[in-house]
Formats: sequence, C-alpha cells, structure tokens
Amino acid sequence: MALPSANSPCWQRLASGGLSRLRTDHLGTQMMIKRLERSTDPVGKKAADLHEYFSKWERGLANEIAQLASL
Amino acid sequence: MKSHNSQAFDRQHVNGLLPVDAVADLIRAGAHLSLAGRPQALDKLPAGNWIAGTTPYVMAAEGSRTIGSDVLFVTDLSPYGDVSFACYGPDELERVSGDAPENGFALTVVPFGSTCHTRFANEASSYPAAFLRPAVGWIAGVDLNEAGAEALVYDGRTATAHRDHVVVANVAFPDDHMAQVEIVNLFAPDDAAVIRFEDTGFAPEWCEVAGERRKFYDVVVERDRTDGSLPLVGDFAGAHLNASIRTVDAEKGTVELYAPVFPGVDYSFAKPVADYAAAFREALAGRETDGLVMGCNCILNYLFGKLEGQSIGEIAGPVTFGEIAYQLLNQTLVMVRAV
Repeated sequence: MALPSANSPCWQRLASGGLSRLRTDHLGTQMMIKRLERSTDPVGKKAADLHEYFSKWERGLANEIAQLASL
Repeated sequence: MKSHNSQAFDRQHVNGLLPVDAVADLIRAGAHLSLAGRPQALDKLPAGNWIAGTTPYVMAAEGSRTIGSDVLFVTDLSPYGDVSFACYGPDELERVSGDAPENGFALTVVPFGSTCHTRFANEASSYPAAFLRPAVGWIAGVDLNEAGAEALVYDGRTATAHRDHVVVANVAFPDDHMAQVEIVNLFAPDDAAVIRFEDTGFAPEWCEVAGERRKFYDVVVERDRTDGSLPLVGDFAGAHLNASIRTVDAEKGTVELYAPVFPGVDYSFAKPVADYAAAFREALAGRETDGLVMGCNCILNYLFGKLEGQSIGEIAGPVTFGEIAYQLLNQTLVMVRAV
C-alpha cells in the first residue's frame, strides 16, 4: 500500500489521537508515537513529523502503513 | 551482508575479542573500528579510524566474562558501508542524530556519570532527527572492583580519552539496506497500579499512584523494590523501556535511577525473572540476526542475572552501563542490524 501524500488528512487525524490505535511492535515507531503523545507541538507540526517518519521508514513499515487510512 | 560474530582474526568478520597488538594492526591497516575494553589497553592504541569506551565486561557466544588489559572487544564497521567519526561536547548532543547518516545509524558511546550522560538521557528522544537517524550504542563504565575509576570514551582520530564527550561512528549503509534497531527486554510490568511522574529526571521525588500524590521513595519501600534488582518498566506505546534503580537512601528518603523517568509515561515495577540466561536464549532464539552490526547488554543483567560464564546465544558485544536505542535504556540488550 502506498504511503498517503503529505497533504492527506490522515496525518492530521493520526496526530490528533489516531496513532493510539496503531498496532505495531516496531520499536522506533512505538517510541515515536510516545514522543508525539507527550509533545506540545501543534497538530500540524506533529502531522508533518509523522509523514516524514513514515516516508523515511516506508520499506520496513508495510503493516503499519496499511493501517494508516483506517485509523 | 552476513552476520558478523567471530573471534577469528578475519578482516571481514570481526565482532569479538582480539589481542591489543592485533587491534593496533587493524587500525594501522585503516579499519574502521568500535572498541570496548580497559583504559590500560585502549591507551596503547595508535591514532586512526576508531572510537571506544571503557568496560571490562563482555558478552560472547561462549559466555560473558571480565577481560584483562591484553584484549579488546572489536567491532569492525568497515564491511557495512562508509564510516566517519565525530566527537561532541555536552552542548552539542543534538548533533548525534542531527549529523548521523541519512541511511544508517550513529554508533554512540557516552561516559557514565558525565554531563553528556545526563543530558543525552533527558533530551535524546526530543531531538528533531532522533527517530529519523537513529543513535544506537552504549554507556561506558568501569571495573566495579576498582574504587575511583572513571568511565572514559576515546576519539581514535587523535587517540584521546574524554570524560565528558560523546564519541560517534556514523555508519552509512548502501541504499539497499536500512538500520533495524531492536531490543530484548526481559522485564514485563507487574500488576500493581501504575506510577506516573511529574518531571523528567534521574531522581524523582514525587509520583502519582492511583490518583494519589506519593513520595516515590515510599512507593519503592512499600513495593519491596529497594534492592534495585528489578527496574521500573515504562510503557512507550507498547514498547517496554526500563529505568533501573541505582540507590535507595532510607536516611534521606530518596531514590536515584540509572535513567530518567518522563511525564506522560505509565511506569510499573518489573516482574521477577527466574533465569536470565535462559530467558535471553529463548528471546534470541526467535530473532533474525542476519546483518547484525553490533549488540550490547547491560551490566545489571550481567550482575543480577549471574551471566558471567553463561552463553545467551550468538550475540556478542560489550556489557555496558546503559544502552542506547534512540534514547538511554537500562537492563536491556540492544542490537542493530543492516536489513
């Protein structure tokens, strides 16, 4: 499944709490989720960070990316 | 790429113990090395392409043990890609991940008890590139039988020891590989009410348990965790990350940890582990080790788990005073693979 584009609404949704429903045992992704949960950054910044993260690790996160649109 | 675990003097497959003279030969031959051992051994090395940290404890396929000054634990990074080196002071730590290769990782060694140790532990997960260009590595330590010994890291480019700098080997993988950072944490949270902390730090005074503000010291005593053998286990979106107990001072009513706790994270104490070596062997038996670049395991596992002389599998590396997988961890085996 292709990674949603940077302007997809899914990133804002994920950054607003949708990430808590992501099922993953990928260490970096889990730690990234916790960082965003604890962060006081605005949602737009978190959404951009998320897109950058998943773009970087796309090849190793097929299971996680397949969930993104439904979260 | 193949798994690289061998004690043989094989230029392409070194991830094990070598005599100091052989390490010096490798350095003179231009190898890019990450080293661990006693300062008396590291002080003998020529300048070259290497970093190092002090610890006399190692895990090896044939059993973990204490080493002397005649050998060093050597990981030859040369087969994995382009390697460059860096050294940062306490005010430059964001550059550990910031300067790391776009595709690869920053093998990072930090001296225990330094300002760098404290600041990296508190800040690393908030660095902008922390989860884009991972830092993986360890905290250098000392021989616990040597009173007054200081943890050191070495910048091999000048063969200089540092007490308060971080040394980094930036390992850039080819485009068809990427870094896979993995941990083996034997500790699962117990079933007691979770503990939450107000501030980031190594010495939390207050916490919240079941909605009640409590002195953390009182909670540690109440739960009979004063011996320090079982860490706090933080729930990081499902990942279990430990902060181990360093001291419990009954006179002052204080608790000091080997890693900071963070607000916004649910912590529990760990359930006991009956047989550390067996638990590691079981956990590692199901793990892929192809492309293994480096691994390390915690001195607290070595001590509390009585790992000396015991084999836990094929993973070899230094036994360390803190582990780094994106941020500081405790009582954890860390490894990074090129996949």
